[in-house]
Amino acid sequence: MRRTKGPVLIVYKMAATLNKGTGLDKNNKYDRQLRLWGDHGQAALESSRVCLINASATGTEILKNLVLPGIGSFTIVDSCKVKGEDVGINFFLTVDSIGKSRAQVATELLSELNEDVAGDFLEEDVDDLLEKNPSFFSTFTTVIATQLPEKTLLHLGKVLWERNIPLIVCRCYGFIGYLRMVIKEHTIVESHPDNTHEDLRLDRPFKGLHEFCDSLDLNSMNKKDHSHTPWLVLLYKYLDIWKNMNGGKIPSTYKEKTALKELIKEGVRRNAEGVPDDEENFEEAIRSVNSSLHATAVPAEIQALFEDPCCLNLNTDSKNFWVMVRALKEFTENEGQGLLPLRGSIPDMTSDSERYIQLQTVYRDQAEIDATAVAGHVHALLHNIGREEPLNPDRTKKPGTLSDSEIRTFCRNAAFLTVLRCRSLEEEYTTETANLEELGQHILEEEEDANSDSDDTVLYILLRAADRFFTEYNRYPSYFDDTLDADIPKLKACLSKLLHDWGLTAGVKDDYVHEICRYGASELHTVAAFMGGVAAQEVIKVVTGQFVPINNTFIYNAQKQTSTTIIL
Amino acid sequence: MAATLNGVLENNLAESIIKSRLLMVGAGGIGCELLKNLVLSGFSNIEVIDLDTIDVSNLNRQFLFRKEHVGKSKAQVAKESALKFKADANIVAHHESIFSPEFGLDFFKQFTLVLNALDNRAARNHVNRMCLAADIPLVESGTAGYLGQVTVIKKKLTECYECQPKPTQKTFPGCTIRNTPSEPVHCVVWAKHLFNQLFGEDDPDQDVSPDTEDPELAAEAGQAALSTEAKKDTIGGIERKSTRSWAMETGYDAEKLFNKLFRDDIKYLLSMENLWKKRRAPQPLDFQELPGKGEAMCTGVMRDQRVWSVQECADIFAQSLAALKQDLYSKGDGGTLVWDKDDHNGMDFVCSVANIRAHIFGITLKSKFDIKSIAGNIIPAIATTNAIIAGLIVMETLKILSGNISKCKQVYLNRIPNDRKRLLLPCALDPPNPKCYVCSEKHECTVMLNTQKVTVRVLQDKILKGHLNMIAPDVEIDDGKGTIILSSEEGETEENYDKVLSVFAVGQSSRLKCDDFLQNYSLTINIVHVEKLEEEKEFEVVGDISQFHPTETTTESPVEGHTNGASKSKATEEEDDLLIVEDQVTPDLVSTGRKRPAEDQQDALLIKRKKQESNTEDNEDVIEIS
Ligand SMILES: [Zn+2]
Repeated sequence: MRRTKGPVLIVYKMAATLNKGTGLDKNNKYDRQLRLWGDHGQAALESSRVCLINASATGTEILKNLVLPGIGSFTIVDSCKVKGEDVGINFFLTVDSIGKSRAQVATELLSELNEDVAGDFLEEDVDDLLEKNPSFFSTFTTVIATQLPEKTLLHLGKVLWERNIPLIVCRCYGFIGYLRMVIKEHTIVESHPDNTHEDLRLDRPFKGLHEFCDSLDLNSMNKKDHSHTPWLVLLYKYLDIWKNMNGGKIPSTYKEKTALKELIKEGVRRNAEGVPDDEENFEEAIRSVNSSLHATAVPAEIQALFEDPCCLNLNTDSKNFWVMVRALKEFTENEGQGLLPLRGSIPDMTSDSERYIQLQTVYRDQAEIDATAVAGHVHALLHNIGREEPLNPDRTKKPGTLSDSEIRTFCRNAAFLTVLRCRSLEEEYTTETANLEELGQHILEEEEDANSDSDDTVLYILLRAADRFFTEYNRYPSYFDDTLDADIPKLKACLSKLLHDWGLTAGVKDDYVHEICRYGASELHTVAAFMGGVAAQEVIKVVTGQFVPINNTFIYNAQKQTSTTIIL
Repeated sequence: MAATLNGVLENNLAESIIKSRLLMVGAGGIGCELLKNLVLSGFSNIEVIDLDTIDVSNLNRQFLFRKEHVGKSKAQVAKESALKFKADANIVAHHESIFSPEFGLDFFKQFTLVLNALDNRAARNHVNRMCLAADIPLVESGTAGYLGQVTVIKKKLTECYECQPKPTQKTFPGCTIRNTPSEPVHCVVWAKHLFNQLFGEDDPDQDVSPDTEDPELAAEAGQAALSTEAKKDTIGGIERKSTRSWAMETGYDAEKLFNKLFRDDIKYLLSMENLWKKRRAPQPLDFQELPGKGEAMCTGVMRDQRVWSVQECADIFAQSLAALKQDLYSKGDGGTLVWDKDDHNGMDFVCSVANIRAHIFGITLKSKFDIKSIAGNIIPAIATTNAIIAGLIVMETLKILSGNISKCKQVYLNRIPNDRKRLLLPCALDPPNPKCYVCSEKHECTVMLNTQKVTVRVLQDKILKGHLNMIAPDVEIDDGKGTIILSSEEGETEENYDKVLSVFAVGQSSRLKCDDFLQNYSLTINIVHVEKLEEEKEFEVVGDISQFHPTETTTESPVEGHTNGASKSKATEEEDDLLIVEDQVTPDLVSTGRKRPAEDQQDALLIKRKKQESNTEDNEDVIEIS
């Protein structure tokens, strides 16, 4: 009954891809989001293929938030028929669809949201699919699993882990929201860090910076030029003087930096009466002493990547990311003289536009030289692993090769590269490998933190207990109203067995057990809507390769409006 | 599945949901999500108000709308889309302004609570006052990019929306815009002013010609005489007249306009030598001799992403000018155009003009994509953040309905989990500010102004409506006689409009009793007479007399600037999802001491820093002038 004839894949909206150019101007439609992840982020989104398991309320809410910004395509796998209670909580299932395929109805309605997204579905049981045709999942960029029982989830997790396909697990259970990222390895070039130092190299000036700064003579400048010399140049010059006075050393202590500031202050021009002029650029230079004189070095995180086996042992199948990391390492050890490629941007500052642009060009040119050198290493490495003809400068981009703009973006972000490696579900669910230390630590923190009433980690344990209940009784606690009283002791028993297995002594209050039973595994629309936003945001991070996804579990307590993330 | 919603929710709550009547103000990004959530959580009596119509750029997140709905009423379409999924819900849609008198106190009083899903401060202030007057709870919310916030407002129990002074908004002195721009945003503001001078409604505050009253010129002896001479010279002997009528006479001739604005006016500016002693002097341009001449115009996809050459700017200036002229003529005599960031020609015009002016003044040129951000006050907006916030709103609503309003929280959404691994930051609600001039017993504030310069019209338009968010104020002097200087009744006090306050013996320490019957709100203003305020400000509002420290400079004062025109409906047209992050999250996050553990502070400051950055880009001032 639940199976249609074989794995039928019905493409619902083929026309979508033909619509490009004739439909709405994508720049206008996506204007407000392009400002967050850019054209290339959008292009990555548009080429993604997303699989959703179960058109639950949680599932369709996630997909809605992905179809709207324009993923490439989605496929819903679901063997259920639409039931009355689905309709009440799921915006993408209607009353007149009761009895029809849930996958089909949801696909039709979700496809209406965006004509540029192709939607299809498979009315097939996930367990069967995993058993008979696990390679079905190989074609997807990302798989989202919602409302799955533990056994199926673990099977799916294993299949995807082996194939290196990111899995995002999302679940709404009463007032609890749960999200788990299961990604073997996710590499991020554009991590969009919040707080970064500018890459100015005042401590290690490069040739172009030397030449430009040395070509300017502060003493012979007229008043206007003097007060419009960029602070970067001023700092360079006074640093030079300071170094000459201090045996070539850069000021590092507070006292030394203060002395440098005093030195700069003395450089401010004075009028006939000896009163210092109002020179904004000098003030900027003084203000910048603390932030701009940090030692330029390869950050420890990047050093660690250089020693990563993926970087050291390149082969034909190596990810582009690792090829570039290796090229970066080689650059650093050679042309870079121990430094990463120059980022090539400078902050805004008081200056006449001519010299600002010149200074910008000095940095940009050096960045270009560095990026070209990195590109040289990239192409040599690609050649070595048999992926690219090296001597053809006019390469058209093939899979496994790299374009110049990709390499430039990589170089600009060289200091912020991030690799995320999540733990597998298998590790989490096997008692021997479970991260019990982290779990115990979190529970302790929650108990001790008298100010906050957060209990998110306890909710995780309760969800696991409910899963155990499901494994034993083949239903969730109090799934049927009339079993509420009988299920409470049963769930308590599951909970204590679980805690015993883990060797955790934490006491979980009875109130929680009652509460979980009262939820009866029901999905609330509002919680599903919230988690739909959170999970879709994580999918977008994964697909665009921008921003760092959550590692690895997120728990939301809707009643208290609290949340936590924990590595399990 | 037997475990229904009723099983999960407390029984009386399920009942309250069905019985409650909700008012949702705004049907944009948050509104669409919220309406869906409400309907699917069992609410069935909902009224929706939104004056806006659907735009293409809404479709990436406002999922109740489709391509075929572009141009239609948001409220109406949202209602129809929601009803498809729950035909028995009782949803009433109003395609109206929330400021409309039909939504008075009696209207508000019929609701159990009000949910704001707004995008602008003026409307938020108004709904705040209405809910205080009607004494019903208000759930306030907003998003910007990845950030969001939800809070609950209840009279006498919590802070109201106006309890804390809003952060100072950057306004630009007229002479910076007209004479000495130094940042791209100055050129963008000038370009928008020019648009309005040529095609829009006339506003004397938006003059684009050189400003001969620049304070920096004061030292120049005989400047006034010189300028009159030069004026006649530079615009070809034509007597000074409005830019609009002059442009009309030339038939919006691109070359003539260009040479007047970018050659002759600049030459005239150069004659004000004092300005250029310490500044780089601007360089006039001639339409026939432009940098980049002869280069091919790029029309590809990248057109909006890259910086145009000056020649391209001039070509695009000419093209958009011609197109806008057609638009204007099609409106007939006396018609005007309203600038809109999503209008192709209007945006091309502002972008090309701003860049030409930037080039003249040696300021960095920007792509159209970037200028759109500055000119349109664009706040990034995505479906995911709105979904998260709308979910939070309903959870707070449920607490209110179950009688647990004291358990409500102010919840902030971070971009990423903070150092303490929290994506959400719930904070306890603060009690009302006893000195708030909106929700406290004593409605008083202090306004600094020059009583010999500020007219009754300025008092009405800029101070009472623009700044203090009144809709239809009446004003009498608390002089024992009750002299009425301003009446909301049309025609009653019109003869007073152009008189300055001192004419009515308003001076130092005068008290003005202001009353707005539409908002059921009254306010006493204590006047502090000052000769002159910084940066050409006409007035400055200090929330409470105790906050008034005459020795401090204006930079410390909670002043919004006088361009915040609540009466201009254009404000509601800004991006759906908020300004609240700009408006409200920021100050609250800054004052972390009150409500946050110390370890959260860094995170809070981080957000603050980011907001400041974006403030310089998304300057509200820029829009409000539109
Ligand atoms: Zn208040």
